[in-house]
Amino acid sequence: MSIKVMVVDDSPFSRMMIGEALSEGGYEVVGEADSLDSLIETYNNCKPDVVTMDIAMPGADGFECSRELRLNDPKAKIILVSSMKDEESEAEAKRIGVSGYVQKPVDGETLIKVIKNVMSPDSLFEQLMERGLETFKEALAQNVTRMAKTPVTFTTIENCDTPYMSQGITTVIGIIGQSSGSMIMDLSAESAEKIAEGILRRPPKNREEVLAMVAELANIIAGIACSMLNKKDKAFALRVSPPSLFHGNDAEIVSPSVKIQKSLAQTEFGSIFLGVGFKKGSMLWM
Amino acid sequence: MDVNLINPILVAFADILPQIGFEKVEKKNISLVGSTFNYDGVLINLAVVGSIKGVIMIGMDLDSAKRFASKMMMGMEVADFDALAQSAVSEMGNMVCANACTQFAKIGINGLDISPPTIMIGQGGQATLPVPQTIVIHFSVDGIEVKVYVGLV
Repeated sequence: MSIKVMVVDDSPFSRMMIGEALSEGGYEVVGEADSLDSLIETYNNCKPDVVTMDIAMPGADGFECSRELRLNDPKAKIILVSSMKDEESEAEAKRIGVSGYVQKPVDGETLIKVIKNVMSPDSLFEQLMERGLETFKEALAQNVTRMAKTPVTFTTIENCDTPYMSQGITTVIGIIGQSSGSMIMDLSAESAEKIAEGILRRPPKNREEVLAMVAELANIIAGIACSMLNKKDKAFALRVSPPSLFHGNDAEIVSPSVKIQKSLAQTEFGSIFLGVGFKKGSMLWM
Repeated sequence: MDVNLINPILVAFADILPQIGFEKVEKKNISLVGSTFNYDGVLINLAVVGSIKGVIMIGMDLDSAKRFASKMMMGMEVADFDALAQSAVSEMGNMVCANACTQFAKIGINGLDISPPTIMIGQGGQATLPVPQTIVIHFSVDGIEVKVYVGLV
């Protein structure tokens, strides 16, 4: 059974373009509305699976229409389709509970992909779980090899549920996007010193220099890995936070709300623990 | 760092904690430290990304963290800071920071997102935040000492 879509747009031309893109993707356009006046009645009559919603419309705009629609049916799945896409409109869309956001002019393939993800939000998360750790491992291997001139191999950490104890220096980077998550990189002070020396081609001057190197290395790995994932599917929309560093003791590291996938990178300077985890999200921004 | 950035966090803390079983949320004092500070016990790390970015951390000594988790679990005995207690305090961190994002939006700082919490548990450790200065807000929550470290730019 094909997915039923309702198109809300004041422009007959836009409705036609979106309708054609949807038909080509095998979706059925079951209703159209050009303003708030006919929105709820049409929605209740045609019972669509997804609604595409323009923002700039005469009278009530797309945000107001979305609010009304969600009041009428709190489960309504709405994808904003608009030429407007800035921080403020994204924030407003999030507050309303909009599921996706596609910028005009509409690329049919992108719209279809967003609808697919809105209809099965878990699939994007599953892809991330499948590809996430491998991508971060690739980014770590590439950059440690490039910067410190040392080959990297990985060993699997068998018992994933055992709490992880820091080897000395831990970096935590928050990841924001369709699914939010964390990257944890951990290594001993000795390994960090040796890697810093490998990168700097001289012994590090002090502990601060070593810590700064670790933070920057983690930052580069997380940034590159997220860019690689975003290139595979921009619906991931991943962004990274600046790194937090923890050091000076043998702390236990836990992420209660995220299942962290773990791997151990082996280098001639010592091992580097890599942990990556994501939690399910429901926002899709393109 | 702009000290006005702490107001939404103060509001969020005072808003959320009574909802999860605490009666008296008192702000004791505010201090300024550099990017590195010492911690003992439990430190909850939540990253913030958006028009301002950085990190919010919530710290307690181990005994306080157990008392805090116990209070959240309606007085259930918490002998060890185990997975359930870790989950409880991490959820508190998540709720406070998510609420802080809403409070930030009210003063025009929109579109902030937070990462899932990561908890460090250990004695005699140091944390280095990705900002030159960290504001530390000292709270007493039903007699439990809680420190909130704010490093946002």
